[in-house]
Parts: sequence; structure tokens; C-alpha cells
Amino acid sequence: MSSFIDYTVNGLVIGNIYALLAVGLALIFGVSNLINFAHGSVYTIGAYIGWAAITFLHTPLPVTMAIVFVACALVGMAIERIGLRPLQGSARIAPLLATIGISFVLDQVVQLVFSASPRALPNDLPDWRIDIGGGSIGALDLLIAGVGVGAAALLFVFLRFTKLGFAVRATAQDREAALQMGVNVNAVNSTVFAIASALGGISGLLVGMYYNHIDPAMSFQATLKGIVAQVIGGVGNVPGAIVGSLLLGLIESYGIALLGTTYRNLFAFVLLILFLIWMPNGLFGGRSAPQSEPLTGAFIAPSKPLRLPRWALWAMTGAAFALPLVFGAPYLLQTLTNAWLAAMLALSLTLMAGTAGQISFGHAGLLAIGAYASALLTVDLNAPTWLTIPAAGLITSALGTLLIFPAFRLRGHTIAIATLAIGEVVSLVILNWESLTRGAMGVTGIPPLSIFGHEIYAPREVYWLCLAIVVALALVQTRLLTSHFGRTLRAIRDDDVAARSYGIRLDRYKALAFAFGGFGAGVSGAITAHLYSYINHQTFDSQVSLLALTMVILGGMGNVVGAILGAIVLAGLPELFRLTAEYRILIYGIVLLLLIRFRPQGLMGTL
Amino acid sequence: MSMLLEIKGLTRRFGGVTAVKDFDLAVAEGELVSLIGPNGAGKTTSFNLISGLDRPDAGTIVFGGQSIGGMAPEAIAALGLARTFQHGRVFGNLSVEDNVLVGAHTRLSAVRPRWPVIGPLGELALALLRPRAVKQEEQALRAETRDILALFGDRLIPRLDHPAYSLSYANRRRVEIARALALKPRILLLDEPTAGMNPTETGEMQALIAALKSSGLTILLIEHKLDMVMALSDRVCVLDNGAKIAEGAPQDVRRDPAVIEAYLGHSGIGQARPQPEPVA
Amino acid sequence: MPANSNRRLTNWLNRLAIVIALGSGGAAAAFAQAAGEPVTIGVSGPLTGQNAQYGAQWKKGFDLALDEVNVKGVQGRPLQYVFEDSQADPRQSVAIAQKFVSDPKIVVEVGDFSSTASMAASSIYQRGGLVQFGFTNSHPNFTKGGDYMWSNSVSQADEQPRLAKYAADLGFKHVAVLYLNTDWGRSSQTIFTESAKSLGVDVVASEGYQPDEKDFRSTLVRVRDAKPDAIILISYYADGALITRQTRSVGLTQPIVASGSVYSPKFIELAGEAGNGVFTESNFFPNDTRPEVQSFVTKFKARYNEEPDDFNAVAYDAIILLAAVIDKYGVDRTAIRDGLAQIKDVPSVIYGKASFDTQTRRVAGARAVYLVVKNGQFVLWDGKKPNAS
Repeated sequence: MSSFIDYTVNGLVIGNIYALLAVGLALIFGVSNLINFAHGSVYTIGAYIGWAAITFLHTPLPVTMAIVFVACALVGMAIERIGLRPLQGSARIAPLLATIGISFVLDQVVQLVFSASPRALPNDLPDWRIDIGGGSIGALDLLIAGVGVGAAALLFVFLRFTKLGFAVRATAQDREAALQMGVNVNAVNSTVFAIASALGGISGLLVGMYYNHIDPAMSFQATLKGIVAQVIGGVGNVPGAIVGSLLLGLIESYGIALLGTTYRNLFAFVLLILFLIWMPNGLFGGRSAPQSEPLTGAFIAPSKPLRLPRWALWAMTGAAFALPLVFGAPYLLQTLTNAWLAAMLALSLTLMAGTAGQISFGHAGLLAIGAYASALLTVDLNAPTWLTIPAAGLITSALGTLLIFPAFRLRGHTIAIATLAIGEVVSLVILNWESLTRGAMGVTGIPPLSIFGHEIYAPREVYWLCLAIVVALALVQTRLLTSHFGRTLRAIRDDDVAARSYGIRLDRYKALAFAFGGFGAGVSGAITAHLYSYINHQTFDSQVSLLALTMVILGGMGNVVGAILGAIVLAGLPELFRLTAEYRILIYGIVLLLLIRFRPQGLMGTL
Repeated sequence: MSMLLEIKGLTRRFGGVTAVKDFDLAVAEGELVSLIGPNGAGKTTSFNLISGLDRPDAGTIVFGGQSIGGMAPEAIAALGLARTFQHGRVFGNLSVEDNVLVGAHTRLSAVRPRWPVIGPLGELALALLRPRAVKQEEQALRAETRDILALFGDRLIPRLDHPAYSLSYANRRRVEIARALALKPRILLLDEPTAGMNPTETGEMQALIAALKSSGLTILLIEHKLDMVMALSDRVCVLDNGAKIAEGAPQDVRRDPAVIEAYLGHSGIGQARPQPEPVA
Repeated sequence: MPANSNRRLTNWLNRLAIVIALGSGGAAAAFAQAAGEPVTIGVSGPLTGQNAQYGAQWKKGFDLALDEVNVKGVQGRPLQYVFEDSQADPRQSVAIAQKFVSDPKIVVEVGDFSSTASMAASSIYQRGGLVQFGFTNSHPNFTKGGDYMWSNSVSQADEQPRLAKYAADLGFKHVAVLYLNTDWGRSSQTIFTESAKSLGVDVVASEGYQPDEKDFRSTLVRVRDAKPDAIILISYYADGALITRQTRSVGLTQPIVASGSVYSPKFIELAGEAGNGVFTESNFFPNDTRPEVQSFVTKFKARYNEEPDDFNAVAYDAIILLAAVIDKYGVDRTAIRDGLAQIKDVPSVIYGKASFDTQTRRVAGARAVYLVVKNGQFVLWDGKKPNAS
């Protein structure tokens, strides 16, 4: 029983930490209607600025906090001014992706400046502790709680009682109207980013001190947990973010108590999915009013797709098939094989995200399902690969559609979060279902590809096989897009309300898109498993999902040729950027940002 | 006379505001009924309730003998109800032709087999393989699409493969109506079809609606341009603050003191540009 | 003709890679002493991404080893390496594998860092007949990938029984195990539990955690409720330090015994005060009086002005060992594989003298010392048992 108290206290302690992050995210979402994926990066920057101040200037805590506050406020304003303001009026997805690009750039800059290895971030607070239950809490716990609640209270006062605060609220409610009423919306956004980022930086500092540990990779997890917490509390709701964070902390803590530590994130993400499905507005969101304004074309950048003549496409396909005969360097073929495998994934994602408008951040989960399906069928049941690969495609198609089905009622950004969570859940289930998946050990000894007894491992044979699958999938997908099915999906994407009013059952068509897309992704995962002969739950991590999304955007949403092109470019880029090894991710982030800014419709255009 | 659409006691509240209050309306087969009233009177909310985009808090809606209150919009569309939207909701990245073809979605039968359980997968397979029946159906619908677009003279036919986002505001409204007609509706709900149109364009639209009416189509019309309402309507129903304040023949309604009061009491009726009508 | 243009491209790529290696200080020293065409080792490892710090630590070890080797060179030729950044990502490690295999200049491959990335590339190295020397790959199945897979990584079958022995020597009877839930941690945990049982030590709780975990309070309450008399950490230094710091906050006072992987100056830095009293063992200990250790530490400090850690040491060992093999058996890829099986007693920081078991293709008998943290320093354990509660 006393342990119950401890679990509760522990839940509140970690919830306390999530709250610091969630408040900043909620503020930005409330005003800009944007999930700021760069928030975790500002958090990291705050921690490192604090570290530098303490190490080089020997500042006491209040001064350190002031420095971090001001510096991160400036970073936030810079993010808004340089990264986001130019995107006003572009597709709604653009600023979201921009924050992802910004976070790549910032994290990488931190890593280049401070190196990847973790650092200690000592604090000069008095070392006393209060005993509660069997454990205790210290001065930092109280300080973090104080800053969290204090920040929320100050924000409340600021939003309620100051003129600028009023402008912020007006902008949050109706940007256009606020603009017409003479509110300087840019100044408001700038202020909001400054406040939220300052808070984010302070969180990084305090959390870094709490654990006496900071590292450049801390940003992604922080963003993720902050997002989960604020969805639970009600997206964009500041007090909700605090309650949501505490609840998340408690659920995680009780989850650990109940099943053990490895189930912690499973609890967090399942909780997120449940909330998205049953309470998409969170605890404090209230009932949503129907969409008052049309969303026509708002989610996807309108553009004129670049249409290549059919003979040119066939010529390129022919050239791709002939390439290994002329130019057989295995390294080149392997890189292109990686591109073909990525292209299968990108084709799948461009159908779901581009054609049907269901942005997915968890696409790697489908690869993992396909890979494990085929690997386990061959290793455990000795099934031949020519059978298990299509089977893996079908399993992925069925399982993927089933998993995502409850999320179909979600729209826009929320479905993106839901898919992110589903991707994480897939990975965590693989980690924890040891009897089936071998857990952390992964599956070893996966046999190579073979067709009727002929083993396929020579680089060019693998190349041809993968290329043939990509071409087949692309042809089928193109044909589907020119049918009523493609038309229907694009109608759903452009305006789901109008689509429903014309008799289109959204669930049915979204499910079909996922079923077809799931097949391609599953096949890609399955082939990968046989090529690597070893897979584990980390082989297909969330980075892969983000990469796939970038390929799709680069190529042009919904564009089949574009998806393949995007895959070639992005699978090839890391190889080209080998010249500048440490700067690769940085360059990659900058490329993404420039693309979103100057060619949001991608290379080939939205279809 | 049997009523095609019969609404009784329809009520919808948003928070403390009652957007539609105890609204009764009946539309007979072949009739053109106009809904008028100042901004915020509850006209569009009523359309949303009838077409299933919003759920009523009270009241019944019967369409063709079937109760549709609270049904999903896609199911209501399948029963033969088509609507346009106040601010135009065309599918921006779809061509004009595709926009209209989406309107015919409920009429697809060859490519949407009514097979139990595997129906959706069958649909996918048929879309891919395209047997003759499917091809013929698609060709027939394309031909019909051109016929419908021809109703708008030269406005849309030359722009058949232009994406809808590239069209003028007026042309988007036309595409919306063409899309609605492609559903072969039993009743057509038009929400301000002439908003943003100049007098010439308005005249064309009026002629088109008159032609549709004379072809026997039942129409429920929301419109601010009173001359047009007077000319086209069999009956006019006036809403103010969510409640019906008058109903009858156009000339009777025009003289109704309650109507005059309602219009004079409000400043203007929004001729010039479409104001976003707040939902609440 | 095609083959020709192929080779030209490969050559071009090679030259580029070498330029990079030179630029980053890689083999710059190589040309000074030994003459002739350099002998090239291909390294596949993380220079960017989540594990970038390990790649950086490798480099320090490699470069130090090369300084030493290239005084004489191997077979009279300078030794150098080409470091290809894989981010420890299997997608990139397989491409690198193809590159190395098809490049006749590469005589042996070293890496990758994670088992995920290494084992994905194993089949390519095996088929291509290029030795993959996975010197950090302790996954029990790594060397089972084929007869070209070799590793001098300290095998868990070696290390974990020793950790169990240490716990038993310290007088503990009921221990709780916290392990990093990766292939390494999971296999270590299994082996530890078996050895502990055979030594009469009861494992009363076992908790796996994710690598990115930072909060351990609730985990530690579970541990506390199992009433162990000691806590075993199968962790790296960063997560090990986090756990150590948090034990106190849930009222745990039991001693901590941590696997050798926490051994790093960073552990002390990150754990702070809480690190005092932690028992650990290490294959590498700078104050170890063995001459090969002392010579390594002195040279390392002279070159980098910092304390070396475990990763520096294993990286150094790997190059010294491969240099010895190449020098003795030649630059032919197959000769190197055969040489690995034959070579005996190469001086090693970790092993004292390293020789391979030809069955497992691993080195057995890593040296180890029992350590304890005292006043913010790793010191040799004085044999005193803590008062088991």
C-alpha cells in the first residue's frame, strides 16, 4: 500500500516534468494551430546554454535561468520569423514540416558544437529532501512544479488581463477576424513563440539539472511526451496541458507498477490513442463545433503537376533495368536497391498521405510488421520466401488497416499524431512480445531471398527484383489513381465534408487506401528482412517514418513518379553527403526547409 | 399532395445560442421553396441539419418517407439529396470534370458491387481491372458530365481539365451546382448560388435554376437576392434568429410586416460579399 | 569497358574517402614513416546520429594505434583506415558493406557499432569474403554469421559470470537486476541470471528499460518492493549514472554492482556524489599496473590530454590486433581470415594477450579488475564486504 503512494508520487514527479514541456507546446498550438516539433530542440538548446553559463561564467541558478530565458526567447522568435512566418498562406502541412526541419537543424547544430556525448549539468540548490511515503522529493522537484504552475498562472493572467494577451486570444480564435480588427498577428505569433520557447529552454535547463544529464538526442523524446501530454489535456489548452501531463505521469508510473518498466511507453502511447479516439479534444477541450469554414485545398499545396511523357518514363524504366549491365558497382547497386525499397514505402505513403490526405508519421511500423511477418514465417515455419513476401504484404495490409481504422475519424494534424503513436506501439509490442518476436534480441538467421530454390543475393539480382516490384506497384497505383477510386480519395483529401455530402463513405476508402498501401510497405519490409538476415525492433525506427514522409513531400504529394524520385534522391543523399559526414543531417534539414519554403508542392507537383 | 421533404420541430443549440428553433417546413415534389432571412438567421444551419453534417437536438426530418434526422451525410446523399455550400467547397486539386464525376459517386454500380464483406476489395479489384461494364459506366458518366457542364454554356466546358482551384469564384459555384446535378438528386439544396456573381452571371444562374425547376426538380434555395427569390419561388420561408417568422407565396411574404421588421431591424442583408455566417 | 569504368568510379570514390580520412586527421601520420602503397582498413561506424560519440571515441583509439603501428608499418607499408559514417543504421551499413567488398583496396572491415547495423551487413561481408571485425558486437549470434565474422569484443559469456562472482564475493544473496533492454542487455541479463543461480545468488527482480529512458523512480520502487540486498546494473555509463542518482530518492540504500560497461570517467561525472560506493569491474582500468595498459594510457594522455575509457581501449586494441595479423600473414583478405585463426598472444589492453577461439571466433579470457567508486574515483576493490542489510 505504501508503494501505491510512492507510485503516485513518482507519477506526479515525472508528470511535473512533462508539464513544463506541454505548456509551451499548448501555447503555440493554441495560437498558431501548429504542433511545434522543434520545441524539444529549444528545450535542448536551453539545457546547453545553461550548461555553458554554469561552466564558463559560473552563474548562480537565478542568473542562469534568466540567461536561458532570454536566449531561448530569441531562438523562438527567430524560429517564428525565419522558419514559419514566410509560410503563411501555404498549405497547412507546411509549417508542421518546417518545425521538423528546424528541429533537425537545431539538434545537429547542438551536436556539432557540444559533441554527442552526454554532459553533467550540476545545480547549486540546497541538498535537502522531504520524505513522502517510502521515498522523498527534493528542492528541484518543487522548483520544477513551481515553474510549471507559475508559468501556467502567469500565462493565464497575461492572456486574460493584458492587451497583448487579448490579441493572442483573439488570434487563436479567428486569425482572419483578428487581422481585420487590426491585431498585429505577426507580433502576436512572435510573442507566443518567444514565451513558449523561453519556457521550453527553462524546462531543458531544469530537467537537465534534475537528471544531471544533458545530451543532444534528448529533444525528440521530450517533444513526443509533451505532445502526448497535451493531447490528453486538450490540444492548445494550457491548464489542460498540466493536468494531462500529470495524468500521463501517473498512468506511466502505475503501468510500471503493474507490468514492469519496458511497458512504460506502451502505456503512454496506448493512452494517447485512446484519447484521440474517444476524446479527441482531450480532458479540457469541450465539444467541438462543426467545421465552420471549408478546407478546400488547404491541406495540400495546390500546384500544376509536372507530367512526363509516357515514353520518357518507359525510357527511364528501361535505363534503370539496364543499368547493372553497364555499370555494376555493387555499392551503387546496393544504394539504388535501398532506394527501391524506400520507393515501395514512399509509394505507399504517397497514396495515404498525398492522395487520401491522411498524413502518417508511423509508416515505419508497417515496414516492421512486414519484416517480422516474413522473417518469422521463414525462420519458424520454414516457409519459402517467394510465398512469405506476398504473405507479409497481405498481413501488413490487414493488420495495418485494422490498427489505423479507429483513427480514421481524426483529421489533419491529429491523425498525424495518432499514426506516430501507432508506429511507436508497433515497435514496443515487438520489443515486449518476446515469445513471438524474440524481443530485444531480434530475429537472426533470416534466410536470403529465393525463388524456387534459386537464392537471390547477388547485388544485381536483388536490384532487379526490387526494381521490378517498384515498377509493378507504381503501375498498379497509377492505374488505380486514374479510376474512380483515385478520384474519390483525392476528393476526400481536398474536402472530406463535401465528399461525405456526395455519398462517399470515408472509412471505406481510407481503409482501402491503407490496405493497398500497407501491402507495398509490407513487401518492402519483408525484402529488407531477408537482405539483412537480422532485424530487431530498432531496424525500422521513427526516423525511417520521417524520412519516408520527406521523400513523399519532395516528390510531390500523391505523385507516383515523384515518390520514386524522392526515394532515389533521399536514399542517395546520405551517400553523396558522405563527403561532409558530420554535416549530413544539417544539410538534410536545410534542404527540407528550403523545399517547404520555395517548392512546397515538391519536385513533381501535387497530384 | 405528398411531401418530399418534411421537417418538424427542428432545433439546434450551440452552447447558449439556439441557432434553429422549432422549425417546420414541408417541400412538395417539384416545388421550389426559398429560405430567406438576415445573416445568422439559421439558414445554413438548417441545411447542415437536413444534409446530415450536423445533428439536430430535437425534431424530425423525413425525406421521401424515410426519417433522416441524425443520419450520416453519405447515407442521406445516397437517398438522393444533393447540396451546395455557402462558400463553395469544390475539390481544389481535382479537375472540373473529376469534381462533377465525384457528384455521381452514389450512382456508381458496376464498379461498386454489393458483395457482402469483400465488397470493398471487389471495388478495388474492379477499379484496377476495369471490365467492360465498369468502363462503360465510366464513359457514360463522362458523357453525362459534359452534358451537365454544357448547361453553363461556355463557362466550364473549355476548362474541363483545369484544376478547380484555378477557377474564378463564380465558376467554382457553377462547378458545385454541376456536381450536385450529377448526383441526379430528388431534391437539390442550393446555398446562395449567386454569391459573388455580377448581374449578368446572376441572370444566367437564375435562368438555369428556372430551367431546372421546369424540368421537375425539387429545389430548396437559400438566397439573398430577393428579386431572384421572388421570380423563382413557389413559396418563401423567412427565418429570423433561428425561428420561422413567415411562410407563403412570394408576394404575400414580401408584404408581411414581421418580415419587413426583421429586415429593417438588421443592417443590410449581405448583398455585397459573403460574410462568414457564424455557426453559433 | 564497363568493368573499366566501374573501376574508375570506385577508384575515384576511394580517393575521395581517403582525402576525407586525411582531412579528419585519420591517417595523416601514416605516410611519415613507412613507405609504399598504404594498406587500408574499412571502418563502418557512426559519426553522426544518436551514437556519434562512440564513433568519435573509436577514432581516438584508432589514430593512437596507427601512430604506433606506422613506425614500422605492416609488411613495410603504412596502415590506414577509411571511416564511412553509417549512423549505426542498417540501411547505410549494408551500402557501405557493398562498397568495401567491391573495393580491392580494403583488406579487412571493422565495425559496425550496433549489432543491428553489423549483422545486417554480415551476409554481404561473408559472401564477399571480407573479414568483418565487429569489435563492439557482443550479440551472441554475431560471429555465427559466418567464418568471416570475428570479434574481440568481450563476450557476455565471459563478463557476466564474473559480475555474478563479484556480487557473490561481496556477500550478496538476493539481487535485483536492471538491464538495458537491447540485444546486449537482454543477453547479458540471461547469462548473469544463470551464473548467479549457480553461485547461490537469488535474482529477486529483473527490470528491462529502454535506452532513452530517463526516469527510473517507479522502476526502483518495484526493485525496492522485491527486497534485494543489492542492485545489479547491466547498463552503459549514461543510464547507469541516471539510475544510481535516483536510487536514493525512492529510499533505496542497497549497494549497487554495475557491469563493466559503466566504467568511464563520464559515469563519475554524471552520477556525481551518488556514484560513490558503486561496485563495478572493468576489462580496462587506467591504473592497472599491466605494462600494456600503462603504455596505452600514457600515450593516450599525451596525445589527447584526457583519460581514456573503455571504448578508446577496445578501438585501440582492434587496430593493434589487425595490424599484427596483416603484418604476419599478408594483405590478402583470405589470408587475414586464416591469420586471425592462427595468430597467438597479441598484446592487448583488454586481454593482456589476445588469441582467438577458432570455434567461436572470439577472444576468451578478458582481464578484469574489481573496482569501487571512492571519493569520485574508480579504485581497486580492497576486498572489504559492505554490510549487507
